[in-house]
Amino acid sequence: MIPYNAMETAVWCGFAGLGFGVLFNVPPRSLLVIWLLAALGGFTKNILTLAGTDLILASLAGATLIGVLSIFAAHQKHAPPLVFSIPALIPMVPGVFGFRTMLGLIKLSSSVSQEGYSLVLFQCINNGIKTALITLSLAVGASIPMLLTRKTSAKDLKFSLRRK
Amino acid sequence: MDSEIGELEEIGQLLLDVGSKLMVSGASTDRVRVTVDRMADALGCDVELFITHRALSMTIKNASGLSSSSILRTPPHAVNYGLVSGISIISWRMVEEKWSVEKIKAELAQLESKPRYPRLLVLSLVALAGASFCRIFGGDGMEMANTFFATFFGLLVLQEARKSRFNPYLCVLFASISASLVSGIGYKLGLSDTMEHAFAASVLFLIPGIPLINALTDMIDGNVLNGWVRGVHAFLTIFMVAVGLLFAMLVYRI
Repeated sequence: MIPYNAMETAVWCGFAGLGFGVLFNVPPRSLLVIWLLAALGGFTKNILTLAGTDLILASLAGATLIGVLSIFAAHQKHAPPLVFSIPALIPMVPGVFGFRTMLGLIKLSSSVSQEGYSLVLFQCINNGIKTALITLSLAVGASIPMLLTRKTSAKDLKFSLRRK
Repeated sequence: MDSEIGELEEIGQLLLDVGSKLMVSGASTDRVRVTVDRMADALGCDVELFITHRALSMTIKNASGLSSSSILRTPPHAVNYGLVSGISIISWRMVEEKWSVEKIKAELAQLESKPRYPRLLVLSLVALAGASFCRIFGGDGMEMANTFFATFFGLLVLQEARKSRFNPYLCVLFASISASLVSGIGYKLGLSDTMEHAFAASVLFLIPGIPLINALTDMIDGNVLNGWVRGVHAFLTIFMVAVGLLFAMLVYRI
């Protein structure tokens, strides 16, 4: 049974991706695909975290799904894969962790008591590493089809798949 | 001989122009290099490119061994995936249909004159994206409405500040302050019990997603220097967002 919560969040992930697609001025023909990719990626990540997977691995899985699907979308809609994958990845960008890291850094300049300082330092480093690793997993996931097939363009990928 | 050099220089300028447009529109360094290489190949030339965030440097050679070098500064960075997509299509069609330099220039000019999305639509959809983030974090309907107006207003301020040519990081600071101040209004008026979700979600439209992802993409591709430049740019932007939020926190005393 799929939790209702995860499905609802997926729908909102779709709208978040769509908004950023428009902000990045993507071609209108790609908007529907972006909504779908963002929702599917968000759904995968949420289901995996609900099942107890680590947040970083779950992000990698969601981003990989988006990366692979964006290749198909690129052939269908005649636009580079990044036009679909990056707006769809944006809902997964660890904005809150990045934000907490920044607040932590600012707090580190003001805390005085030693216990308070260690706690802030600990949280700040923890959030910072999470931000970096999740972003890395998003970038790797989105470019996995390219990295594994050792091609420089999605167009070649289509031809090589056909020949096989 | 002179005409041949002139022609080579013209092609060089065109390719540099394409490269710098891709760079500021949000393409990764590898994508810029691959696209310019492909276009040069189709025009019967060979290029060596040195790509940085603020300028592109190129040496172009033709079949008879003549070469020309030039540098072009990039215009201000502004993400535009319509341009990235359009240039990609041009680069493939010119290979297949053997376009002349004039034809390529005409197609590029046409691509740039294409209208963007209407401003009101962009504002509303980005505001909807902000409200979606609020929901994803666990906010209720009232907080979502709060975030919607906060993001709408923040993006409006960002666009106006950019139009007035403020420093890019200052633009982000202005937008962050306005968005977070608006997001707290509902809480102050007693319309919602908590403002935490609305507060965090209202500035998320400012998070530099493309520079962050491109930073890592560049590093994975081996363009480590460009990756760091993008990463530092993203870090500074996030810093400005945090400062804006802190300001609003001081105002609302939380």
